[in-house]
Amino acid sequence: MRRLMPVVALLAILGTGFAGCGDRSLILTVNILSFLDPTETSAAYSVPGGAPSATADIADRSVNLLQGLNDATDVASATLDFAATLDNVTGTATGTLLFYAVPSDTASLFTSIPIASIPISLTPGTITNVSTRVTSDALAEALVSDQARVGIRLSLDTSATPLGQFVQGTETITQLLATVVTKKKI
Amino acid sequence: MVAQRFGGVKPAPQTTEIAKVTAVGSDTLEALDAVPYRRPAILTRFEVTNVATTVPGRLTARAAKVLLAVVALLSGIAIPDAPAQTIDARRLGMGGVITSDMGSASAANIAFRAVPKGRGHHSFPLPLGLIQLASDPPEFDSDSPDFNVFEIADLITNPPLTLSLSRPDPVSSDVRIYVAQDSLSIDLEDLRRIVPESSLRNGGVTHLPGFAVGFRKAFVGISPLVHVQNQLDLEPALRAVLRDAAPFTTRTRYGLADVGVAQGAVALQAGLAFRAFHAPVPGQDKDEEKGDGDPRRSGATALYVGAAPKILYGIAYGDLRGLGGATTGDTLLGSGDPVSLDVAARTRHAIAGGDGGSGHGFGADVGAVLYWRNLEIGVGMNDLASEIDWKVTERMHVYDDSLDEFTTTPLAIDRDFTSRIPVTTTINVARRFGVTTLAATVVDAPLSTSIHLGAEMWMGLLAVRAGTYRDANDAWQVTGGGGVRFGKIGIDLAVASHQRYIEEKRAVELAASLTLY
Repeated sequence: MRRLMPVVALLAILGTGFAGCGDRSLILTVNILSFLDPTETSAAYSVPGGAPSATADIADRSVNLLQGLNDATDVASATLDFAATLDNVTGTATGTLLFYAVPSDTASLFTSIPIASIPISLTPGTITNVSTRVTSDALAEALVSDQARVGIRLSLDTSATPLGQFVQGTETITQLLATVVTKKKI
Repeated sequence: MVAQRFGGVKPAPQTTEIAKVTAVGSDTLEALDAVPYRRPAILTRFEVTNVATTVPGRLTARAAKVLLAVVALLSGIAIPDAPAQTIDARRLGMGGVITSDMGSASAANIAFRAVPKGRGHHSFPLPLGLIQLASDPPEFDSDSPDFNVFEIADLITNPPLTLSLSRPDPVSSDVRIYVAQDSLSIDLEDLRRIVPESSLRNGGVTHLPGFAVGFRKAFVGISPLVHVQNQLDLEPALRAVLRDAAPFTTRTRYGLADVGVAQGAVALQAGLAFRAFHAPVPGQDKDEEKGDGDPRRSGATALYVGAAPKILYGIAYGDLRGLGGATTGDTLLGSGDPVSLDVAARTRHAIAGGDGGSGHGFGADVGAVLYWRNLEIGVGMNDLASEIDWKVTERMHVYDDSLDEFTTTPLAIDRDFTSRIPVTTTINVARRFGVTTLAATVVDAPLSTSIHLGAEMWMGLLAVRAGTYRDANDAWQVTGGGGVRFGKIGIDLAVASHQRYIEEKRAVELAASLTLY
């Protein structure tokens, strides 16, 4: 599909660029969740207690996007709807669920500034639903590139859980939907 | 297969086969030959069916010659008959019908030239739309936020010769693309309106303004003509993606086919138009007895015929028959390159002073009109059997998916080829009852058949008109209007609906004409 992408992008750009009046925006909606493997959208975690900073990289994936979009459009805005469910079985912890996105030619995904960060608080035997909506220029930069790299990281502080015990459960990403509004540049 | 430039090759005296067909694939040629160019039920974006009027009349004196030449020039400029657009207000008010007493319609049937003028008129359309255009022109600066290419396209398909009373909202909206794993869709929103439901066909035959001089029953003239015709077909999968925002799917070809032809020629024409039969009503006045009366209202039986063979000097010819498409692989948005692209086109061309030189051919306009008890029945055929012989250069252009480049392969130099100018047939019927005229016209043009119905009633110096017509898109339109006459001069107005805008939505226009009786 890679070479069909320029055609699609061209159609879209021509449409918005020439269609006069109104907002004339090209609205790109990317269902990032669909690009993740099931093992990445729903993963078990097990972090030993007493750790003030433990991380688990849940997903790290390249996503093919529309070629040529970056050259022909200016980004007006970008939003990300990010939601997850954490089914915590044992242990107590606080932390954050982080989403990263960078153009694929960026060296390191997880050293970049996260696009979205959701605070979480885990207690034994509880199911926690969390969500956030963020706007991000960095997200836009990633999604108008030919290929993006996206990742999800779970960062926990398990200091509240005694040593020798574990914070265990399952996280499930339920929504990861990006919307980028662009204007024609040509 | 090697890409070649072909322009430097001198034309050979005889057809020269340059390449084996198998070099570009006989399958490709067969596929190109199968590209549809049928006549579908619907779909013409616009169509030029004719006709810029040339000099009418008989010249009896030097002054008349000068006057008629001026009138001809003015009428040729003033009545260019834009695509399927009637700008003669009287004719438009009557649904666009053609009758023998409408000066602007005289070229539709060559026999009309021989019919006495009677109460006929010659209209000079007043291009009110130009004032409207001048006061509110579209934005031509593509950097401006107000720039809209579809407004400009509308300007081309709907020349601003009439005043636009209402028009559809310009195509304008966002475009949405949805991307997911193995899923891609694009919603063009408003732009879906310009993706045709079936074939997109446009073009027609345009007879540009020329000059003709008449000597009693005979006349000679010269006029250029242009024939442009194109048909673009989207395969159902591609149409669904663009028009219905259907998602792209795997292992699917999204293709299109295009067939186009354009040719220009100058017609040198000589003809005769005369009364072949006349049976006056007994007891009619002297003029009628001599046959100089108006057969439209005298009740006499009269047959007028005309024929004008023409020599066609072909200036340029070009055609294209092409296929293209993209076929998706097993995955969408995969990391590989599973899409295969295919493009193949065969072109032919010839041009005076260049490849192949000029073309030469013959054709004819013929017509007849019968009057019987104030009933008028006319049949006119323009460009009958009109063909032009060319020596064309033929090439095949194929996109090589593996090399990601086009290759052009010459197939022949100076291959004998005969092009045709499509015939336009006009059948008109009119019946006059005192001050009332009822008329109907069918125009069978290269791309469509239009039907026109209209009526006119004079009440003293005032005329009231109404009509309807089925346009090139098979949509029925409604017209109406009126006129006032002051001696030899009159003013006519007409209001009509139409769907010439690219959005194919109904709009309303006002036409005005200055009329000489």
